[in-house]
Amino acid sequence: MGEARSVTVQSILFENEPGGIIRAAEAVANSARLARERGLLSSWALALGDCGTSPTLDESHLARIRHSVEAQGGTVVHIYFGENLGHGGGHNRLALQTRSDLLLFLNPDAVLGPDSLALLMVAVGDNVGVVDGRQLPLEHPKDYDSATGETSWASGACSLTQRHAFEAVDGFDHETFFLYCDDVDYSWRLKLAGYSVRHEPAARVFHDKRLTVDGDIVASPAEVYFSAEAGLFLAHKYSRPQIVTSILESFRKSSEKSLLDAAAEYDRRNFSGILPSPLDPHHRVSQFVNGNYAMHRY
Amino acid sequence: MYRPSAPSVGSSMHPDRGPDNAPSMIARIMMDIAHQPHMDAGSSEKLVSLVEEFGSPRDSSRPFLTVLLRTQGTRIEPLKDALLCLAAQTDADFELLLLVHNASSKQSESVEHVVEQQPPLFAERITIVPVDGGTRGTPLNEGLSRAVGSYIAVYDDDDLVFANWVEEFHHLAGKAGGRLLRAKTAVQSVSLVTWPQGQAGFNTSSWPAAEYPQVFDVLEHFRVNQTPFMSVAFPSVVFSKLGLTFDERLAVCEDWDIILRASLFCGVEDVDALTSIYRRWEIGSSSYSDHTSDVWKSAEARVVEKMNSRPIVLPPGAVEEIRQLLADREQYAGILQSRAWKLSRPIRGFVRVAAAGRNSLRRLRHRGAR
Repeated sequence: MGEARSVTVQSILFENEPGGIIRAAEAVANSARLARERGLLSSWALALGDCGTSPTLDESHLARIRHSVEAQGGTVVHIYFGENLGHGGGHNRLALQTRSDLLLFLNPDAVLGPDSLALLMVAVGDNVGVVDGRQLPLEHPKDYDSATGETSWASGACSLTQRHAFEAVDGFDHETFFLYCDDVDYSWRLKLAGYSVRHEPAARVFHDKRLTVDGDIVASPAEVYFSAEAGLFLAHKYSRPQIVTSILESFRKSSEKSLLDAAAEYDRRNFSGILPSPLDPHHRVSQFVNGNYAMHRY
Repeated sequence: MYRPSAPSVGSSMHPDRGPDNAPSMIARIMMDIAHQPHMDAGSSEKLVSLVEEFGSPRDSSRPFLTVLLRTQGTRIEPLKDALLCLAAQTDADFELLLLVHNASSKQSESVEHVVEQQPPLFAERITIVPVDGGTRGTPLNEGLSRAVGSYIAVYDDDDLVFANWVEEFHHLAGKAGGRLLRAKTAVQSVSLVTWPQGQAGFNTSSWPAAEYPQVFDVLEHFRVNQTPFMSVAFPSVVFSKLGLTFDERLAVCEDWDIILRASLFCGVEDVDALTSIYRRWEIGSSSYSDHTSDVWKSAEARVVEKMNSRPIVLPPGAVEEIRQLLADREQYAGILQSRAWKLSRPIRGFVRVAAAGRNSLRRLRHRGAR
C-alpha cells in the first residue's frame, strides 16, 4: 500500500433537492471513514459549488452536512457562485480552492458506496489519470478491459483524478462544453498527454436516474439540447468533420427544437471562429462508435 | 423466488379497482358479514375493527415499510449493490431485515462486515437475522415474525431498486385502502465476468426492458406469475391478522403463491412508476438455475392445486372477463372443427417447415458472422 493521499470530493449544485445532497454527503463521509481506516486517506474535504439562481442549501442543511463530514475528519468548502458555470466550469473553479492530491468529481445526487473511495484511490495510481466507478441502478454500457480496467472515457458522475494530471491538461474545457461530454474530452486529453483512463467496477455509486414505465430514459429538453451541442463540439474537436456534417444534417432535418437550436449554436460558433482547435488528427484516442464515445456492450 | 415468465399480452382486468381509499375486497366481505342479522355483537365489533385496520394500515409509531432481504452470503458484490440502492432511497421510512439463510460462519461474517461498512444512519435500520434450515419461504416467515412495518416488501440480494422504490409505495399506500401495491419492473441481463485485479464480478449485458404487464391481471396470474417479488408491497395485516404465511413446502414459486393469495384477499393497486430492476443472471446461481424442471413443475402444481381446492373471491370485472374467455374458446373450437381449417392443414405444415428452415439458415449465418 502506498502513502496516504489527500482528497477533495467536488460536487456542482444546481437547484438540487437538499435532502439528496445531505444523503450524498453522509455517504461520502462514510466512504472517507473506510478509506482512512485502510490508511489510504490523509486529509479530505467536501467542496460544494452552487451554480443555482439562488442558494440551494440553507444554514440548517449545511450544518447537517458539516456534522457528517467533520465527524469523519473532513472539512466542508461551500461556494455560491452566483452564476451558472456549468459542470466543468464549476469543477475547475472548485479545484482552485484546495490543494489535495486527488479530486473526486461526484454528482450531487450520487450516493457513493461504502468502499468506493478506497477502491478508486487504489486504482488511480502511477500513470492513471482518471478512474470512474460503476453506476447503479443504470450501469453505463461502455466497454472496458476486464484485466486492466482500461476504458475510452471516465464518467464525470463519479470519477477520481490525480491533481497533477488535472493541472497538466488544464482541467475541463468549460468554454466548449457546458454540461455534457466535458468528461469524455477530459479523458481523451489525458490520454493524449500520456495518462491512462480506467474503470473500477467494484467501486459502485448510486446515480439517481429513473426510467419511464415503458423503460425509457427521461430526458428534459435542456438535457437533449446540451447533449446534442456537446456531441457536435466533440466531433469537431477530435477531427471528425464527416461526423459533424452528418450530425448537422440530421439535426437540421429534425422537427425537435432542441436539435435545431444545437445546430444553430454550432453554426454561430463556427461563424464566429470560436470553436476549439481540432486535436487527435490520427484518431489515436478518440472513439466515435454508433453515436457513442466508446464501444458499448449493448 | 419464482422466475416470472416472459410476459404475455393479457387483458387489464384489475382486482377490486375502486375510488381512492375504497375498502378492499376482503374488507367489503367482512363488513357484509359483520352486518348480517345473525351476528352477535362481539363478533361483529371484532370484524368492524379488523376492517378499520385494513382501511388505514398506517401507524406512525412504526416504519412504513419492512424490507425482507434474503441472502445466503454467497453473492457479496450483488448484495453490496442491493444495499446501496436501499441506502440511496429518497424515503427512509423503512426497516431492513437482512435474512441470512443457511450461511456458513464465513459467509455470515462477510455479510456482517458489509453491514458494518454502511453509513451509520442506514446501518441502524438494519437487523441481521440468521436463519437455518427450511426452504426459501423459511427466512421470509422468520422475517414476518419480526417485521413491524405497516407494509412488507421482499427484495432479493441480486436485484436492484430505483431511488423512489419506497417513496412510490409510501405515496400510494395512503390511498390504497389496504390493497397490495404493485409497481413496474424492468428486466436486465447480467453476465459473470472477471473484474480488474482478478476479482469475480459481473456486467450488465442488455438495456433494462419493461417486459412485465403494466397492470395486474389476476386471471393471467392464475396461469403464470407476472410480478417480480420486489415490485409489490403487502399490507402487513394480511400476515398479522389474516394469518397468511409463506408456504415452506414450496422449494420455488413462493413469491407467485403469496402474491396470488394476498391479491385475492385484498386486491391490488397499481403504482404508476417503474421502481426496480429484475436482474436475469445469464450464468451463475439463482433459484432458476439451482432447481430442476421437476422442482419447478411440482411447485407450480402445488400453487395451482391450492388455488383450485378452495373457494376464492374474484374481483369486480372477473365475470365479464371469464365470459369473454369462454366466448373466445368457443370461437376457436368452431374454427378448429371447420372444413376450411382441415383443408388448409397441408399448407400450415409447409409453412411450419419453411419457418424452421429460415430459422436454421439465420442461425448458421449468425454463427458465421462471429
